[in-house]
Amino acid sequence: MSFFGFDTGPLRDRGQHPATAPGFSQIPDHFASRPNDDDDDDGIDFEDTYDGLGDALDEKDDAFNDETFGGGDDKIGKDFDFHGQTAKVADAMDEEHEVFNRSARKPSVVHSASTQQQQPSRQALPPAHVPALRPDMSLWGGTTISSTPPPPPAAEIHREQTPSARAPTQNVKKYMSLDEVEAEILMSQKPLVMAPQPVFQGPPPQQVHQYIHQQPDFHQIPQHGGFSMQMQNMLRGSQQQQQHMQAPQMIHQQQQHPDHLRGIPTPVGPAGGARLPPHEQLQEPRNVYGMAPHAPASQLQNMSEIERTRFLEDERKRLKRNHKIAQLARYNGLMTPNDKNFITRIQLQQLVSINNADDAANEDFYYIVHSAIRARANPTQPLNQFAQTYLYRQGRGNRRQDNHLHRMEQQVQRAVAAAKARPKASQLVLEGSLGKISFSNVKTPRPMLNIKKNETGVGEQVRKTQRSTISGAGKKTLLLTIENVYNALLNLECHERDRGKLPPPPETNIHTEWEAKRQLLVSKLWQELKIMSPIDPSSNQTHPFIAILSYTKMKRAIQRIFRHLDEEQRVTVLTMIVVHLDILDVVKNGVYQPHETTLPSATREEIDLFASTVLPSLISYVYEAPLRIVIGLLGILLERVDVVLVSKTKIGLAFLTMFSSRAEIVKQSGKANENELAQWQAMYDRLFETLQGHWMGCFPPNGMAVDDVYVWQFLASVAVGASMPQQQMLVGAVKDRVMENVMASKTLPAEIGTQKSANVNLFMRAIGLDVELLG
Amino acid sequence: MLFFSFFKTLVDHEVTIELKNDLLIRGTLKSVDQFLNIKLDEIHVVDEARYPHLSAVKSVFIRGSVVRYVHLPANAVDTALLEDATRREASNAAAARTR
Repeated sequence: MSFFGFDTGPLRDRGQHPATAPGFSQIPDHFASRPNDDDDDDGIDFEDTYDGLGDALDEKDDAFNDETFGGGDDKIGKDFDFHGQTAKVADAMDEEHEVFNRSARKPSVVHSASTQQQQPSRQALPPAHVPALRPDMSLWGGTTISSTPPPPPAAEIHREQTPSARAPTQNVKKYMSLDEVEAEILMSQKPLVMAPQPVFQGPPPQQVHQYIHQQPDFHQIPQHGGFSMQMQNMLRGSQQQQQHMQAPQMIHQQQQHPDHLRGIPTPVGPAGGARLPPHEQLQEPRNVYGMAPHAPASQLQNMSEIERTRFLEDERKRLKRNHKIAQLARYNGLMTPNDKNFITRIQLQQLVSINNADDAANEDFYYIVHSAIRARANPTQPLNQFAQTYLYRQGRGNRRQDNHLHRMEQQVQRAVAAAKARPKASQLVLEGSLGKISFSNVKTPRPMLNIKKNETGVGEQVRKTQRSTISGAGKKTLLLTIENVYNALLNLECHERDRGKLPPPPETNIHTEWEAKRQLLVSKLWQELKIMSPIDPSSNQTHPFIAILSYTKMKRAIQRIFRHLDEEQRVTVLTMIVVHLDILDVVKNGVYQPHETTLPSATREEIDLFASTVLPSLISYVYEAPLRIVIGLLGILLERVDVVLVSKTKIGLAFLTMFSSRAEIVKQSGKANENELAQWQAMYDRLFETLQGHWMGCFPPNGMAVDDVYVWQFLASVAVGASMPQQQMLVGAVKDRVMENVMASKTLPAEIGTQKSANVNLFMRAIGLDVELLG
Repeated sequence: MLFFSFFKTLVDHEVTIELKNDLLIRGTLKSVDQFLNIKLDEIHVVDEARYPHLSAVKSVFIRGSVVRYVHLPANAVDTALLEDATRREASNAAAARTR
């Protein structure tokens, strides 16, 4: 019960120190009138412990003591009597003590000791008075919270008054002698049913009054959050008056009741406790921290089954709640306001950088775009997830929380403004100081290295490389070119994202400005592509665009670039690729070498990538292109490119398929004019002638194992447009292959077999046949 | 900021953190800050036999400076986007230098 863990209970209970002995006499002073019960057996006998040295003293030379110590007749001063002096101001000291205890948040030793007996039920208090550790809501701008009002000044006064008021009077008077206690015990054992008269001369009404007033005092130290508050409210409320009227009897019982001395409540009223008397209810919360309640066993026995279950249920709920509160409050007050400020500053810094909208796109690009993509993939997830994660994490629709958040946002806005206003120096050189003070901010937590680059050198280098790009140089230059393309592309995409921020349709200056900027960015991108560099057939330098297209990352970019290009630019890109089709890496490397059955894996990857990234853009364009463009492109192809070589590759065939199938579709739709159709037919015949005799070369070697569907697709597209003799030639050329495939489809596992025959059927159907006919 | 931005997208994914003292911790990334301090939940140490004292630990907060590697879940990383973000970062840095 005490701070040091001593038993500060009445000394007489322990009987170790004689009550009359000096030093401690003041406390057991209340029992001075009582018969001394110290002489029990286990007490320590003076004679047993005294070593008898005093007997050996020589007492005879005391004659001059008076001379030595002063006249014997002088009145002895009281200067040495410190204890007596102290006793005089004991009350004041008590008060001091109380104040100190409260301010130091220490257990109130004096009072728990002195009031123990007087109010036995308080023995159920937890061993230490946990200081009031609750979040200081004033930190949030001084809003008062209805559910947890701050301790009212009234209670404060109580606290100031009670100790002084109590110390002299009740501390002394309220202690009952053992006889009295015994009398009480005997009294209470009589049936209580007959609403007992106040037989006991004990606490007069005014004392009860005091008791109630002490209640808020005791619970001033809210160990368990809302509970004590609730109690205070109850006490402070109108009930208080009522209790003044009703309570005496119950308190009376309580105080006399013997069981209470052992902390076991017993049935109090005639009602048997289904509805607990107010005081009983008030006492309950003293079992804090989810400690098992002192189950009023006998009370429970008196209850009916239903009442009992209900009571137990309530009790369980209450304990659960207490436990939860205790759990929550466990770490309250761990941080000092300073700590909190520090954290808040960091968080604000964080928020400043987040809310800095123009910076956010740059600084937090990956996160923003990534979550945007995720959000698009998963529409249930809201887009501004970021804001939610960081701002609304705790806001469970709580009004108060919202208010705080609102405040917080305002604060953040102010902080952002302040941060923007502040000069953006990262170092400070104080006059007279020997070093620099470098600031850290949220983006550069701590500048560890500050390497000064030779700016001029870098600039020159860049200029040099740029010059060399034109003449077409090494890998580094090409990579740099690609990076420039990407930068232009990123800027354009970033600008494109702003489209959503534009005001709705009525065209304004903003729209025209935006469009102008877009055009500028597109032309920049176009320029970076270097596609307009003149084609020099005599030079053995690869055209820059084709050169950069041989890099994986450029292939990946094509699809994204295409989105921003207009029709004319797309044709240009397509033409550029077609013109250089035979030197395109995927075609050049896609040709099977004489003894190769498979291509190197790197080449295969490049081919697949080209087929999945570049081709779709081109195909989608060609499938909407007018016939004259197709004719033109095929013309270029036949004129400038080694078509036989091209036809040996997957990508090359894809281009040929693309043109012939598009032309066929236009032809069949009947939209083309005669002139164009004639031109096309001429072009087609030329193609057929060129490839005649090389049909089998289209197939990859070891065709049984690899997927050759693209060849059949090509053959089908050629066969559709072929004349009768052409078809016969075609069939004659690939007849062996057809038979081979058909035979294979029968021996191979069902799945691959069907695939094989389906592939062949593509071609067979084009010439009006079917695999089935072959038997 | 790129790394911060990047790690934020890995929140709620399982990652393995390798510390500079060779301790490997696998767990769900709960949060990360600009110092790349890392909060992990439901952790378990990869070499449990060697570090039995950590078998009871459920969640950890790791100071960013003690991390050697973060093993990423490959399918949670958008490489193309990451490339772009890197380009952006570089161009930002270039812009900041000339400013």
